[in-house]
Amino acid sequence: MSEIIRREEFGDVAILHITTTSVDGVSAAAIAGACQEMRPITVLDFSEVSFINSAGISALLKFVVAARKSGYKLFAMHVSPHHQKIFKMVEMSRFMPVIEERDLAEHRV
Amino acid sequence: MERVELNIPSNPVFERVVRASAAEVGSAVGFSAARIEDLKLAISEAVNNAIDHGNRREASKLVAVVFEIDGEKLEIRISDQGSGIDRLDVGRRVIDEQGLESGQLRGFGMYLISELVDDLEVSSTHRGTVLTLRLYRREQP
Repeated sequence: MSEIIRREEFGDVAILHITTTSVDGVSAAAIAGACQEMRPITVLDFSEVSFINSAGISALLKFVVAARKSGYKLFAMHVSPHHQKIFKMVEMSRFMPVIEERDLAEHRV
Repeated sequence: MERVELNIPSNPVFERVVRASAAEVGSAVGFSAARIEDLKLAISEAVNNAIDHGNRREASKLVAVVFEIDGEKLEIRISDQGSGIDRLDVGRRVIDEQGLESGQLRGFGMYLISELVDDLEVSSTHRGTVLTLRLYRREQP
């Protein structure tokens, strides 16, 4: 897996921590590559992300497509208010809803 | 009027240079942090369009970005050296099941620009395309 994603896994959950600040055309391919390694519950962590553009959204949609094909659940975590606004504008939030970190606690056994 | 001009090669890496400049210009104009984020995203989309669709990533072609600040607004012109376009679709573009099934995972850029700026103009000839974005100093509701 690319260094641009740091993976954390417990039970059926994978948290993919995006470690670049820009989810854009430059980082898109490396980010999208991680969609091959999803788990039944996959969470993308945006805590280090300060910028997302449409090329980045296209990369994130690879996760949406992969999750739908596998019947997996996909969530986003630590999404800034600005990015929540953008996700709402393009209706990304329908396919990758925001989850709070505390909601994952039950899976951390 | 104050003016800042950048010329970048048609390489997406240099879009980040324009974006960083936009943040500084937006700050100098006195925009809020949220509006600067809108500005950065709108300019990013416009510059990437110019690189990908205008100049088709030909290294010899430049994208010119001009920031002009006056008393009432910030105006940004993004120009490519492509062969022009017939039309740009700025209609609402959202993610839906049909698009996901058919692999239509791109094409949100112009819609985002149109939503994030106060004014958007497109001018295109066989010598290239110019996008003009305007953000007024008065915060929009």
